[in-house]
Amino acid sequence: MKIKPFTKTYDGRTVLDMPELELTEGSIYAVIGANGSGKSTMARILAGALPCDSGSPVLDRAVSVGYMPQKSYAFRMSAEKNILLSGGNAKKAKELMERLGIISLARNRADKLSGGETSRMALARLMMGKYGLVILDEPTAAMDMESTALSEELIRDYCRETGCTLLLVTHSLRQARRLGDEAIFLHEGKLWERGSVEKVLFAPEKPETAQFLEFYGV
Amino acid sequence: MQSALEKAVELILSGNRELMSILSVTARMSISSSLIALLIGVPIGIWLGSCSFRGREALVVINRTLMSMPPVVCGLLFYLLFSGVGPFRSMKLLFTVEIMIMAQVVLITPIVVGNMESYVAAVALPVKETARGLGIGGGKTLLLLLNECVYQIFSVYLLAFARAIAEVGAVSMVGGAIAWKTNVMTTAIMQYTNRGDFSMGIALGIILMTSSLLVNIAISLLQRRVSR
Amino acid sequence: MKKLLATLLIALMTLGLVAGCAPAQEAVEAPVEEAAEEVVAEEVVEEPIEEAAALNTVILKEQDDKMINTYSVIAVDPEAPFADADGNAVEDVAINTAGADALIKFLLSEEGLKLAGEYGVEQYGDYLFYVKEDAPRYEGEIAAATEETKVIRLSTTTSVNDSGLLGYLLPAFENAYGYTVEVQSAGTGKAIAAAKYGNADLILVHSKSQEEAFVEEGFARVLDGFEGERLSFLYNFFVLCGPSEDPAGAAAAADVLTAFASIADGKYTFISRGDASGTHTKELSLWPEELGITAEADSFAGYTDWYVSANTGMGACLVMAEEMGGYILTDKATFLTFVANGGVM
Repeated sequence: MKIKPFTKTYDGRTVLDMPELELTEGSIYAVIGANGSGKSTMARILAGALPCDSGSPVLDRAVSVGYMPQKSYAFRMSAEKNILLSGGNAKKAKELMERLGIISLARNRADKLSGGETSRMALARLMMGKYGLVILDEPTAAMDMESTALSEELIRDYCRETGCTLLLVTHSLRQARRLGDEAIFLHEGKLWERGSVEKVLFAPEKPETAQFLEFYGV
Repeated sequence: MQSALEKAVELILSGNRELMSILSVTARMSISSSLIALLIGVPIGIWLGSCSFRGREALVVINRTLMSMPPVVCGLLFYLLFSGVGPFRSMKLLFTVEIMIMAQVVLITPIVVGNMESYVAAVALPVKETARGLGIGGGKTLLLLLNECVYQIFSVYLLAFARAIAEVGAVSMVGGAIAWKTNVMTTAIMQYTNRGDFSMGIALGIILMTSSLLVNIAISLLQRRVSR
Repeated sequence: MKKLLATLLIALMTLGLVAGCAPAQEAVEAPVEEAAEEVVAEEVVEEPIEEAAALNTVILKEQDDKMINTYSVIAVDPEAPFADADGNAVEDVAINTAGADALIKFLLSEEGLKLAGEYGVEQYGDYLFYVKEDAPRYEGEIAAATEETKVIRLSTTTSVNDSGLLGYLLPAFENAYGYTVEVQSAGTGKAIAAAKYGNADLILVHSKSQEEAFVEEGFARVLDGFEGERLSFLYNFFVLCGPSEDPAGAAAAADVLTAFASIADGKYTFISRGDASGTHTKELSLWPEELGITAEADSFAGYTDWYVSANTGMGACLVMAEEMGGYILTDKATFLTFVANGGVM
């Protein structure tokens, strides 16, 4: 699977300038970088939620994309109904809710859930479907340690079962290390460095990567 | 104050025929105009709020300008258009409840549009992004968006109704405050006040506020039920 | 569910407060209030307060020939030179001439004049309108309503409408002949303008100069068997009211012109309708000529320290006069309603 080169400009300022990127199907890519480095913009463009400058699709072939935005929207209905929105059966929904520890909230209004609960609901909702490419934008940012652990386990299992390619935008280097096969480091809107997680996190080639890692502490 | 309160209670209990006529004209005028404004304004508001196209900003600005149209200006416009010498004289609509409703619709629809637009503009982006991320199609996304608006639609309706029932400038102009025909609560209050009969004005005011309260309670209860 | 119940409860309580408390308050609070009033009365005002003395504004001058107020009814001519807001001529203006004829004939019939003449005695113990001795009279048949002529649009002044005269007269006409009279009321200026815009079949107003202009411009119609367009049939008197202390000595003045002159001389507050109504027109004619007061705002710019151009209805002006202790010219009917209401809420 290939991502064609693209740029994104806001008010004459280029916020993202991506080269061609080849993705190995079935791999998990951890996208890391400082705030404002363009991680979320990249996720939104790949998901088709935001047009890039050229306006044409950036994926080289038609592939179904599942995307969980940073702030997932909880529709004004029960959590269970939210999860069943994209189809799938109730049994599977129940199973996912159980694994994420939100089964007791099934009948609660989704728009009244807490931030962490909403994230877990959104994750379950996404995992009801099957996609060629899954993009998760900081899925565990609002979660506590326990929920994060449950979610990471589920994400790993989901990828294995469905064989999807996963782009995981995260600000947690630990999470990148736990889940990622490869790491993509964005810096000031550019793809600065990529490679295996071990290599990027522990033996970065570029000084900016090293600086970032030092600052965040692996 | 108490004498006016007593008078209001007395008026209602006595079933005063003129009061009943005023109440029914008021109800007909304000309920129809607010409902029509809602039917026109909600789709436009949702469209303006959720779609991005060239000229959208301009439409929003125009609508906001219309929101501040003074009722008397609107009334005067309709008066001249439907006057015995106006271009639409053959319709014979001046001094009817129908034309009062029309003027009110013109006044209220921009308010409905503006409120829906600003609400939808805030939720449309995350709704669309989330729906797209789940592979949900356009039609279903629109339904989801509508579902998000249900609560707001009730609130907007109450706003429209409040404006319709409280307005006096336009309705007195195009309706003429004709007894038994186009006299509504606000114009009747004006008449009594001009006559120096303030206690009657206050009594009618109390009745107006009480009926508004009842409508508000009813709609709010419905709103809770529907959007649960 | 609990929330719903709570809301209902609050709503009911509020309603109870608004609707139910009045009788209860009457029972519990009334004596307390009375007592409180008595205390205040004893402490502040030494003389006992008379019941009717709540209002300080009283009639100072009435029944003066200069304050005569003549009411005329005029039928609108369908062939009149109607023009739209841009001044373009409009020809096919729908005017219900048959209906206007019927109403005018009724007003000038023995029954109509009798009803108008006796109005007010029952309610206020005073005549509010007098039938002119030389009023045109009608003795023939009055046509009953047909589907086309049923609705009659009468444009009149607020003072006529507010006096309650029409409410007293019209039911007799409507019941006998099957018409529905739609009454719109505004100041004389606007009432006449409504007819010029083709929105009335007849007008009932009280401003001679404006009526004559209306006739002159060709908007009026002569009814078969009548002479002249302006059918003046009723009259009454404006009254000059003011504070009971009457610092200008208006009550003692020889006539109303002298009274007005002394108000202007002493710069005592005067409340003017300022709205081109018949009352306003009459008031303008009563000021000493050298003051030059007209309907134009410029004309009284130098008198703003005492001349108040309120630009509002009669009742609101009366309240203003009462509050400011000013003089005011008013029609008697509105003043009597005002007094009957104690001038306050």
